[in-house]
Amino acid sequence: MIGQPLPRVEDRRFVTGNGKYTDDLQIEGQTYAAFLRSPHAHAGLLSVDISAALDAPGVIAVLVGRDYLEDGYQGVDHVPNPIDAVDATKKAFLTSLTGQIFNQRHIPLPVDRVRYVGEPIAMVIAQTPLAARNATEMIEVEYDVLDAVVNAADAMQDGAPQMWDGAPGNLCFQAQIGERDEARRIIAGAPLVVQREFHHSRVVNCQMEPRSAIGAYDGETGVYTLISGSQGAVRQKLCLADALKVPPAQVRVVCPDTGGGFGPRSFIYVEQLAVVWAARRIGRPVRWTSDRSEAFLSDYQGRDAIVRATFGFSKDGRILAIDNEWLGNVGAHTVSYVSMSNGTRIMTTVYDVPVAAVHISAVMTNTVPTAPYRGAGRPEATHVIERMLDLAAAELGLDRAEIRRRNLIAHEKLPYRSPMGLTYDSGEFARNMTRALELAEWNSFSERRAAARANGRLRGIGLANYIESPVGAPRERIELTVLPEGRIDIVAGTQSTGQGHETTFAQVIAQHLGVPMASVTLRTGDTAFVSVGGGSHSDRSMRLGGMLLVDTAAQIVATARQVAAALFDASPERVAFADGGFADPASDRRIGLFEVAARIASDGVPGDPAQRKLYAHAEVNTRVPAHPTGAAVCELEVDPDTGVVELVNYTSVDDVGQPINPLIVEGQVHGGLAQGIGQALSETCYLDRATGQVLTGSYMDYGMPRAGAIPPLRVELTEDPTHGNPLRVKGGGESGITPATATIFNALADALKEFGNEELAMPATPKVVWEYIHRRAG
Amino acid sequence: MAEVQLRVNGVDVEHDVPDQTLLVEFLRETLRLTGTHVGCDTSQCGACTVNLDGVSVKSCTVLAAQASGGAVTTVEGLRADQDAPLHPVQNAFVQCHGLQCGFCTPGMIMSVDFYLRRPPKLDEESICHALEGNICRCTGYVNIIEAVRHAAHDLYPALAGATAEGSQS
Repeated sequence: MIGQPLPRVEDRRFVTGNGKYTDDLQIEGQTYAAFLRSPHAHAGLLSVDISAALDAPGVIAVLVGRDYLEDGYQGVDHVPNPIDAVDATKKAFLTSLTGQIFNQRHIPLPVDRVRYVGEPIAMVIAQTPLAARNATEMIEVEYDVLDAVVNAADAMQDGAPQMWDGAPGNLCFQAQIGERDEARRIIAGAPLVVQREFHHSRVVNCQMEPRSAIGAYDGETGVYTLISGSQGAVRQKLCLADALKVPPAQVRVVCPDTGGGFGPRSFIYVEQLAVVWAARRIGRPVRWTSDRSEAFLSDYQGRDAIVRATFGFSKDGRILAIDNEWLGNVGAHTVSYVSMSNGTRIMTTVYDVPVAAVHISAVMTNTVPTAPYRGAGRPEATHVIERMLDLAAAELGLDRAEIRRRNLIAHEKLPYRSPMGLTYDSGEFARNMTRALELAEWNSFSERRAAARANGRLRGIGLANYIESPVGAPRERIELTVLPEGRIDIVAGTQSTGQGHETTFAQVIAQHLGVPMASVTLRTGDTAFVSVGGGSHSDRSMRLGGMLLVDTAAQIVATARQVAAALFDASPERVAFADGGFADPASDRRIGLFEVAARIASDGVPGDPAQRKLYAHAEVNTRVPAHPTGAAVCELEVDPDTGVVELVNYTSVDDVGQPINPLIVEGQVHGGLAQGIGQALSETCYLDRATGQVLTGSYMDYGMPRAGAIPPLRVELTEDPTHGNPLRVKGGGESGITPATATIFNALADALKEFGNEELAMPATPKVVWEYIHRRAG
Repeated sequence: MAEVQLRVNGVDVEHDVPDQTLLVEFLRETLRLTGTHVGCDTSQCGACTVNLDGVSVKSCTVLAAQASGGAVTTVEGLRADQDAPLHPVQNAFVQCHGLQCGFCTPGMIMSVDFYLRRPPKLDEESICHALEGNICRCTGYVNIIEAVRHAAHDLYPALAGATAEGSQS
């Protein structure tokens, strides 16, 4: 079962229209919420007059931030400082040069000031969605419009508008990590120093399911219920309970089918908190579904980092030292510092860099808060080092593959500890690159460039190596029950937002217990039965969940073996387990796993007659290091007359560890790559730098990749086994996206090298490329 | 209020709804056929695609009253009933892993079903053109394009040999 490219078992409900996303559900007595959102990026709220809205037809209530505080609640603590990538007992950032690591509680509706375009100000609850929406337009708000700042570098300037009193200079924290003095000393004496600034553009999550939330409150039990798609119900429950000031047992979070995650949906959104609060206030369930325009203004966004890189190289192209500066745009609320932590830990990627340092500034701006977005810091770090290698190769007259070969970590150096403290236990870095170059026919590229040239087109090729640092929530739990009726029930703390867990988890259990896949069902995403677990992000589901599946399956076999041995009147060691059953070779007696479960249901287990279930559980709360790695090559053509970039083909060699289901893994690579291509060539949230107005507010003006954006792909999976987990899983969710912008920008720079070597802006839209080509003409 | 009469998935329905009710709202809210999804508010994403009188439409762009008198097929109606085998397009999406989160899938399937109602061109460009009105965030479209070919070969066995030619063009 493991390793087979099986079609997914969950697909039947999705292709027949029987998927159940939050907005598909109906709750008895439900009411509808709509939010009035700020049209200004930064403004004081002088007054909010709700009287006309309250009198509007169908309106039940109109709530503002003061109501929330008067009800005694507090804002959400997003826990922005993540758990460390190496030591799960610590935070990623322990100290700040500013003296503090800022963490501002996030109340659902601000009381005195709005800090980004789209921030909700008031919530209307009505009998119909239309009545709620119409009434929001009857709320009169008097704004004191303030200067806004949206760019992280601008926000660090003296005199920049200030976001929060608790974050002077708009700094959440500043951290100096690595050996800066040593790096600077080495760079000062280096034969070649390359410096460059990169701006990783801000992208919109654009999961296809608009966010949706249903809140309910049971006055008798005092239990709040949130039904809402997310990437992890348990985290959401804990955050809600904290904000509502109740014990976690008084909050239930239910996560139905979820239409895409990609990172930001791991966190609580204020609308999710607002619907449960409002449900208690009005005594009826409250539902809300975002429209896409709201999503562009309020879904947490990704990336938006400025990296100023300084690399010292030897004459033969070896990286001697790195001294980077990283400005992370946090946005208007402190939701997450994950990207900065990931980007730091992985900054030297697959290269043997002796000394590295990074200075991080986490900066607040008048923008939608940022959160981890697929890759979350790794694509940014990969982009920087891979671009710098190409720039150095050009300076030194070295082949771009050769400069990488000279810097790659040799396989015999594994386990290798990077200057940023990660330990890689596996990975054939040189072999992966060589294979990608072979598949991409790198060596014969010049012929293709010449042929394109003859057609008036500029052809380029680019290469990038990558490695990831799968981190995420370290705590996970699996419960496994074998039921007498021939079913196996898995309860997991991870949940799928499209990754096909119902299939892959069943594949693992079917293999380990020797039962048909169809007998295995997976339940997730409801804190009524999921007590512990971190949800899905950072390639964690199969890495942690898989480990626990193997553990619980082994426990089940051990318990069942005892029962079988007692029945056979044999010693447990003599009883063999194979094909879903136990056999005693001496007596030739056999019993199936489900029959054992039936026996336990009637008689209990030997030594514990009260235990009437064939059940096991296992938990983990630590780091399970595993580093997906690989190489990618992109070939593209630029039309110099229009600036249009056409990707000709793309090659990806990915070591995801053991693929449980290669069909699903390859699908993950495709999807990640599409998001990387989007960011490289078309997607960004354009903001007016002076006013903070959002210029990309819909799919009409945001460059979502369509079919046709993705070139012919060659994806090859490879494996250098990790020993960190029994299934040898590394992770596949982020392999496509991690090297994508680096590969494409290297290819683009190659195509355009005759026009200079300045850095192209991201995304490299036709306008950007055309202006680059023609910038000296005018 | 508008009186809306429709034949939806072979069943005649009749309801009075507010004038501004969109076809997608009529399907989702009035009839509770929630397989048809709403993914945007600018008619870009195609998650709401259904078939109206033989033509693929974005049901967020049609008033229910406008459609009145017509026949609508939604993703729920592609099969005769819940026990019937999957429609060839539905099956192709499953076999080719043409979906991940599944949210865009019903609209994708309805667009592909329309594209394949006549013998289609199966070269990359033609398929991508047919899918231009449907956005997917998960799959990178690679396996959706594969699913179009898979379904086409299933529906038009004669096309199986012609594909290689088509992809050369």
